[in-house]
Amino acid sequence: MSLLEIRGLTKAFGTTTVLDGVDLSVDAGSVTVIVGPSGSGKSTLLRCINHLETPDAGTISVDGSLIAYRRDGEVLRELPERTIAAQRRRIGMVFQQFQLFGHMTALANVVEAPIGVLGRSRRDAEERGRALLARVGLDGREDAYPRQLSGGQQQRVAIARALAMDPTLMLFDEPTSALDPALVGEVLAVLRDLAERGTTMVVVTHEIAFAREVADTVVVLRDGRVERVGPPAEVLDDAPVA
Amino acid sequence: MTSLAPEITTDPSSGSPPPRTVGSRHVGRWVWAAVVVVLVVWALRSVALNPAFGWSTVGQYLFTTAVLRGLGTTLLLTFATTVVGFVLGIGLAAMRLSGNPVLSSVSWGYVWLFRSTPLLVQLLFWYNVGALYPQLSLGIPFGPTFFSVESVNLISVLVAALLGLILHEAAYAAEIVRGGILSVDAGQSEAAVALGMTRARVLRRIVLPQAMRSIIPATGNMVIGTLKGTSIVSVIAVTDLLYSVQTIYNRTYEIIPLLLVATVWYVILTSVLSVGQYYVERYYARGAERTLPPTPLQRLRKVVR
Repeated sequence: MSLLEIRGLTKAFGTTTVLDGVDLSVDAGSVTVIVGPSGSGKSTLLRCINHLETPDAGTISVDGSLIAYRRDGEVLRELPERTIAAQRRRIGMVFQQFQLFGHMTALANVVEAPIGVLGRSRRDAEERGRALLARVGLDGREDAYPRQLSGGQQQRVAIARALAMDPTLMLFDEPTSALDPALVGEVLAVLRDLAERGTTMVVVTHEIAFAREVADTVVVLRDGRVERVGPPAEVLDDAPVA
Repeated sequence: MTSLAPEITTDPSSGSPPPRTVGSRHVGRWVWAAVVVVLVVWALRSVALNPAFGWSTVGQYLFTTAVLRGLGTTLLLTFATTVVGFVLGIGLAAMRLSGNPVLSSVSWGYVWLFRSTPLLVQLLFWYNVGALYPQLSLGIPFGPTFFSVESVNLISVLVAALLGLILHEAAYAAEIVRGGILSVDAGQSEAAVALGMTRARVLRRIVLPQAMRSIIPATGNMVIGTLKGTSIVSVIAVTDLLYSVQTIYNRTYEIIPLLLVATVWYVILTSVLSVGQYYVERYYARGAERTLPPTPLQRLRKVVR
């Protein structure tokens, strides 16, 4: 059974239709890479999944439950803030611009939500936080502030921060687009490692080589519609994308 | 054939050191420094030696009970106004930035009203509030009343002063806090919300601490302004620092020395506040700069050692 199920997702900004009836299924433990030209709706699609954007129509369900809405006959009614916040705990997100909390050290960034939102003890959260930072290759940088880290290091802390919530689904919104070419590799290596461990991932990226190597499914989005979907060998080899 | 390689004019093996550089002498700087030093010394000398300043009288009154009591009132007013004013200000800023159009408009209206009338006028209003509402009651709006008191009994001059100062301060504090919140990248809130935090937690843990960096300098200004602004309550006979020295000079006619007593205290307090601001700013700069520069004290210690 699929972990993430999107049906007829539609979204317009003003008069511009960004998503036009998108359907998508993501199996548990699989890696889905979304590619497509700029403005094709990739980021909006991803941001709808954890309700950072409000869709106009369509349903998104994770693990069988509707995200941010409850069905009421013909319409979907938005859930209260607290309920949506609870749903978001299961969905990790990594942003293009990292968005580490600038006033906190790397470790404090990682343990903030486990302590404050999940109510874990500081000791447990820090122990696990250190382990996660070590896993993304940042041993010994626990006390560094984001501004003291390179872009690649910041993005790896951001991935550790998302993993600290033990999400069932990880969303990556162009995780390497803001990085110097020399730093892209270290972040992709972390993504590859996550994929091997069976993390369910949806990745928006322009890194076609990464898609070809790691993705189970590639989705090509164009003008808010799913143009093609399938294994990378079938989807990526003929039509030029990006 | 001429070579395109740069010509080597000095032979590195000859051993003669490269020519040393010497900075400009800045003659003009020295002249202006001398002129200004002479003027400052002349002014200080005249202040120190003019008997009309009455420095001995200043020393005599600086620590008298009446003056210290006035100083206490001034400190109380400044502290209460700043703390309560900013708590209200944070609330008003949160209302203004909320998605609720009614709360947002009410907050805007409050700031508009309290910024568009002079503090002195507001103080006089609160001083005379008994004329507007002779009785004040506690109860449910449009519902039953639990108890009521005569306004004149509840609103003493000190309470009138506090009300006036706090409500005025809140309007300005709201704008300072709102500006600070807007200075934090919206992506920070998104990242926090994506981790499952509620909006209230995002504001408290993620946005406000980072907003402090731009809130603190404006707040330092504001606190110093409030400290001096409290002197305005002397017009409604609150015995603050200024009113206390006025009471004394009305009796002794030593106007200038007693105004100097007040001046000396105001200068001491603002100096303490300025130093405090420096350290608070440093605290909130953590994470915003790669390494913090040494404090003046640390620099001094390095020189002495």
